[in-house]
Amino acid sequence: MGRFLLAASAVFLLALLVVTAPTGREVASKDSQAVHQSPVVDETGLRTLQARYKALSKQLSQLMPNQPYILVDTARNRLYVKRQEEVVLDAIASTGSGTILDKPGESNNQWIFDTPRGEFLVQSKVTNPTWIKPDWAFVEEGLDVPKNPAERAEQGVLGEYALGFGKGYFIHGTLYTRLLGKNVTHGCIRLNDSDLKGVYKLARVGTPILIF
Amino acid sequence: MNLCAILLLLLTFAVPSWGKDLEAFPNLNFNDPISLKEATRVLEEELKLAARPQTYLLIDLVTGTIHIKSRGMELHQMPIVRWSSGSREELKGVHRLVARPQVVRRKIEPGAGVEQEPISLTDMPVDYVLSFAPGLTVSVVPLAAKDNLLQGIVFLGKSWWRSFKNWSGTVATDQLSATAAHLQLTISVDHAQSLAWSMVDGMPLVIRRPTDK
Repeated sequence: MGRFLLAASAVFLLALLVVTAPTGREVASKDSQAVHQSPVVDETGLRTLQARYKALSKQLSQLMPNQPYILVDTARNRLYVKRQEEVVLDAIASTGSGTILDKPGESNNQWIFDTPRGEFLVQSKVTNPTWIKPDWAFVEEGLDVPKNPAERAEQGVLGEYALGFGKGYFIHGTLYTRLLGKNVTHGCIRLNDSDLKGVYKLARVGTPILIF
Repeated sequence: MNLCAILLLLLTFAVPSWGKDLEAFPNLNFNDPISLKEATRVLEEELKLAARPQTYLLIDLVTGTIHIKSRGMELHQMPIVRWSSGSREELKGVHRLVARPQVVRRKIEPGAGVEQEPISLTDMPVDYVLSFAPGLTVSVVPLAAKDNLLQGIVFLGKSWWRSFKNWSGTVATDQLSATAAHLQLTISVDHAQSLAWSMVDGMPLVIRRPTDK
């Protein structure tokens, strides 16, 4: 009886070993890096590499703004206010038309109505802004550029708020809400009243604006 | 008991803040030294770009994705359907855009009173070459629509012709030397136009290369 039990146990253990033995390497998925094994893995070197990678990854993440920022997608005419990865506000916008206008009296010199790309900062916040029309606004209409600065001022066309980000570019409101979602502006970024108010409340002077 | 409270307090402040530090390459094989070296190289280059107020391009050939980034953050991404390149060694480093396809801009006629049709994504080219310095060309080839056989033949033909020209040492749209590295990306028509729209002169590019042979 004892011998029988011993033999049965041995068979059972053998069967267990056979069933749980590894069947082979996983096949790497087609678009991932190949899983290849270095013949000799230097543990210390690997740990050093891992630590270096983590440190660099951390450094990179620390460059991200830790405050809300504005992201403008000029191709799809969207404006987002984000806090790290979270979208706090998602707005339809209008950005630069990309059209050109010749400067009178200056050969080979033109205005190009693009929304600038890159990183900017909110430099000013204004309520009930007055549009001080630049030269192109008159030239475009076929009008003479006025000598009197007072003739440039136009009220009520920029909405209730404006956020300036340098070189005359603003995020502001519009009377032409039907054109939101299209590239129709002279470079500024237009929003509807409700989104503009939201952006105005969320942004401060110094808030980053990323435009691509 | 007091000691326990003090230790607990110290432990609380010692724990790093979670959620702020994002993994640069979440799919990275952390135990593969070769992949780690490549990821580290890319991070070192990206850090220099992210430290400046600019947008830049990261082409990740491991995940098959084109990223438009700034300050280490992803602004937009586009999937790559397939890609091919010559020597992968020459894809290292930071490259800057020096030539891209011209876009025809519409001119405003003063006083005409007629609204000019603005530029839009659909005006962007779908099949083009981006030239970078030092010595890199990136050909963008659109993926033809599944039911458009003629379009597929045209795109494939252009792709072969461009590959032949690169092989024979000339470039269709630029005067780069025959030793320029070359990367060809096949992406959807929409993404090809989106990429063309997003490129700005001088835009930096970093490429993450796969480490399999």
